[in-house]
Amino acid sequence: MSSSTSRLYLTCIRNTLEASMCLQNFPCQEVERHNKPEVELKTSSELLLNSVLICRNEAEKCLIETSINSLRISLKMKQTDELENILTKKFLRFLSMRAEAFQVLRRKPVQGYDISFLITNYHCEQMQKQKLINFILQFMEGIDREISELKVSVNTRGNLVATKFLKQFID
Amino acid sequence: MACIERASPALNQILLKLYSADKPMEIDHHLYEFGSVQYHILSQASNPLVAYLSISASSLCHGVLQNELSSYTIEMVKRLCPEVVEIVEPSREGYQLTLRLNLNQIPLGKDYVKVIRDISTFHSVILSSQLKEILWNVNSDVTMQEMYKPIKLAYHPREPFFIIMQPQRIIAVFPIRFKEKSDVIIATAFFQELVDVGSSDKWAKAPPCTWSAIPPPELRGETLEDLSTNGGFVTFDISSRHIEGKRLDKTVWNLLNFNAYVRYHVKSTKGYIQRRMRKRLENLVEVLHQTNSEENGQTKQHQATGYRYKKKQVRSSKYNILKQRWGNFGRKMKMHFRLRIHGFGRFRQRWLRFPKFSSKGYTKLE
Repeated sequence: MSSSTSRLYLTCIRNTLEASMCLQNFPCQEVERHNKPEVELKTSSELLLNSVLICRNEAEKCLIETSINSLRISLKMKQTDELENILTKKFLRFLSMRAEAFQVLRRKPVQGYDISFLITNYHCEQMQKQKLINFILQFMEGIDREISELKVSVNTRGNLVATKFLKQFID
Repeated sequence: MACIERASPALNQILLKLYSADKPMEIDHHLYEFGSVQYHILSQASNPLVAYLSISASSLCHGVLQNELSSYTIEMVKRLCPEVVEIVEPSREGYQLTLRLNLNQIPLGKDYVKVIRDISTFHSVILSSQLKEILWNVNSDVTMQEMYKPIKLAYHPREPFFIIMQPQRIIAVFPIRFKEKSDVIIATAFFQELVDVGSSDKWAKAPPCTWSAIPPPELRGETLEDLSTNGGFVTFDISSRHIEGKRLDKTVWNLLNFNAYVRYHVKSTKGYIQRRMRKRLENLVEVLHQTNSEENGQTKQHQATGYRYKKKQVRSSKYNILKQRWGNFGRKMKMHFRLRIHGFGRFRQRWLRFPKFSSKGYTKLE
């Protein structure tokens, strides 16, 4: 059940990204000889498109904001308990601190979200659109899987350490 | 954080250095551990066979035991290495106990490492014997007032724990405090596992363990400072069978080190999470780079197929370029000299020949 809803959620994001990732070079209208991502500046409303919010549930959602030359994807990951919460926060902070390795990752997430990507027309020119979308989706799946595995590992480690501690009383 | 090992690593190292020195050494070391334990090691070059080791440590329990060491504790210290260790009376000023170490009595060969290691467990022996004395009183006759009153013990000043004596059992309560919230959550996950494992049938013989976010009722009446925690309270229910014979020593050591054990687990778990994240980052970056490299490969392929007939542009050396130009010029010259002049060909070969340049950018002037 969970995997099927996840697939639907990811498919919806894929389709939305495919539709919205039609970016073109567009110079800034405010500053001459400057080329800035309009989705970040939001200076001219005519250059912005309607943003799309895709929600799997209250805790898991994806916001796609589009402009003429840039696209911003913000993700909120599921955090069912406190352990998952700190693992997600730790991991996403770790990735954000190393944003230069990803090129498309934003150093600071949009308020209310855990992680944000900023894709400009230059990224679309350098990398293929389809591959870029695949990367975003793989990233989402990877983070989800990693957090679940980390949680299981931390609990398993705790179990082993607890067993070892109690064993000392009996031996 | 207290050390899980019984032997003090720093003291062990200094004593080893002192024992294995080729020449007599003059040592006057003051050593501090955990902020509350102070060692003083004194050795004079004039008398290299003897060293003095003094210790000053805050008492495990201020309520029950005096600052002076009990006779049982002194007896336990004497038993540490009877041939090597002698208690000096009175002890050095400012210290609770002074030991005279007869270094010449330490056995030769590999055994000396074990003996010195035993001497380094000096502090842990004192603490263990203090707690043992308290635990021995489980079955002894104590008044009802003393019985239910929590005894505050502090192996480390910042990490106190409580012992509550009840008929036929002892309750050990550990208030857990951490600076970071992430540490609290990892520790809480560990406590839940500890409770789960302890409640299983396999570990029925181990002391029952419980964890609660609020202080247990046994601690009612304690100061607010002692009862305010962010990691809750872990309680061990120790019955008389856990302190019988050889088990007493293990139980005592486990209780003294529980806080250190939890902190060590939290620290190593954080390290493990960091390692996993680093590995995962590499994998994710690899995915993106694969995407990039595939595209680059594809664009190169497109270029190769699109410009198949384009002349390949290869960087050539200055010499080759000049030679090529001269060749063209020569060909033009040929065009101009269609008339054959006898001997001109030889003249041209000799005098109108393109001079040879070295491939280097310059020639050294002599």
